[in-house]
Amino acid sequence: MVTEKEIEHVSKLMKIDVDDHTEYVDKVQKMINYFDILDSAGVESEEISMPEISLESLRKDEHVAFDDKLIEKLNHYKGTYVRAPKMSS
Amino acid sequence: MNLKISALDFVQQVQNGDISAEDFVAETIQRIQKIDYNLHAFLSVNNDAINQAKSIDKKIKSGEKVGACFGMPISIKDNMCIKNSKTTCASKILENFVAPYDATVISKLKQQDAIFVGKVNMDEFAMGLTTEFSAYGPSKNPWNTEYVPGGSSGGSAVSVSAFECVTSLGSDTGGSVRNPASFCSVVGYKPTYGLISRYGLISYANSIEQIGPLTRTVKDTAFMLNMIAGLDSNDNTTIDNKNEDYLSGIDSGIEGKKIGIITEMIGDGIDSTVLSATKDAISKLEGLGATCEEVSLDMVKYSVAAYYTITATEAGSNLARYDNLRYGYEFPVEGYEFNSYISKARQKFGPEVTRRMIIGGFVPSAGYAGKYFLKAMKVKSKLIKEINEAFKKFDLLIAPTVPVLPFKLGEKIDDPVSLFLIDINTVTANLTGKPAISVPFTISNGLPIGMQLFANSNEDKLLLQAACALESTVKLPEVPI
Repeated sequence: MVTEKEIEHVSKLMKIDVDDHTEYVDKVQKMINYFDILDSAGVESEEISMPEISLESLRKDEHVAFDDKLIEKLNHYKGTYVRAPKMSS
Repeated sequence: MNLKISALDFVQQVQNGDISAEDFVAETIQRIQKIDYNLHAFLSVNNDAINQAKSIDKKIKSGEKVGACFGMPISIKDNMCIKNSKTTCASKILENFVAPYDATVISKLKQQDAIFVGKVNMDEFAMGLTTEFSAYGPSKNPWNTEYVPGGSSGGSAVSVSAFECVTSLGSDTGGSVRNPASFCSVVGYKPTYGLISRYGLISYANSIEQIGPLTRTVKDTAFMLNMIAGLDSNDNTTIDNKNEDYLSGIDSGIEGKKIGIITEMIGDGIDSTVLSATKDAISKLEGLGATCEEVSLDMVKYSVAAYYTITATEAGSNLARYDNLRYGYEFPVEGYEFNSYISKARQKFGPEVTRRMIIGGFVPSAGYAGKYFLKAMKVKSKLIKEINEAFKKFDLLIAPTVPVLPFKLGEKIDDPVSLFLIDINTVTANLTGKPAISVPFTISNGLPIGMQLFANSNEDKLLLQAACALESTVKLPEVPI
């Protein structure tokens, strides 16, 4: 059983303000508790299969120029830099 | 002007000069203006659509080469980028985001002279299955506007069903094309993973999601696939389909094919009307010369939990980019510390997206990854083994697309687990990468029921042939709008 405290801690790590306890903590708790059904799947010995893509199939790791100046589209673009909030001390 | 024609009929009529692209598009826009206030399929309408259609008519008259769409009006789910158009993902956080490039599917359709009449509604960031989680309000089912149209590609399904466009593109992460297709009585297709490029699709759960068409007929789906499927250097997960022509031989039928009925998808929780429709569909397929018998996929019982664990984990990572510096809305940074600024800005996310981000942080975290994420990945691996085993014996699999009938708006929105279980018949195709299609099958008390067929990976052509055969056995009433 997942506790409310654990959910609140993860929310903080995910940079999410949990201002409405019912909407977030209670419902998230209900959702995660449903996932406990996975415990009865009996897959402990199963290997995880992952799709493989050969290196030759990947596109070349090289710069591709973009037509527009994307940086100018940012909300806080100030001509020569992008304004960001101050970092905590 | 008959707006109720199929894509293939539209192309033929424009080619023959029976109708003009301009007139058809103009009437389509008029219809959107007339009825969409009630349905809310569209989030934005392309004001230049009629001019674009006019220029295609000019090309036709002057004998220039014209693309296969001949000005066909298409709606696009609002999580696919169209250059210089707003792409909101039905989220307030992207309210004013204008895409700087075209998604690959958009480039391909532009080359074929398609007209994008507008961007359509969806659950915010495609997280939902009713369209009720759109930040701009829900879409409504044209069969009965008190009911949900399904989701997350609800706007796509509504726009095709209510004749506000000829075809649409949606995206399917756990049934988001097939579920609304079933609820609105249109065809919805989830291709083999990798068949259609995801470049320019706003990411939710990259490892399992696919773009797919919603159309009025199975042949229209094949027509759309012919234009948008295939390799793309911008998406390394795409597969080479060798320019397969999905329309050729689509009427081949299913005589001699073996079809497995997935036991776990017709068991507990299925509505009796849906079960009866499924039995009817099986009889009809047998009548066409197929043999049907039950097959068990044991992992289906755990598939929904595995699906939500995996998708939330990927979403938690994908949505981390919404820090309001790279993507976001007007909100001054002055006076905020870095982390508190991001937390404050993220309050623009709707409740479902917020919940899934929290889950996406929780289930792969230290101490819980073994219990949730790794176990979900193991269920996924075992499910793939089980379905591959089933395809050694069967050519196709069948199950109802959704185990219940469309339900009323607001009926399930406060119960996340009951909403989860609506996905039980659709997530298997996503977790295993197999192609699946929802075909309109019957109408019960004025509400549609769709039937779902699955095929093995890269057997999309066979799947469309089977779907075409099933479609030929039914004649459905017209949507009452």
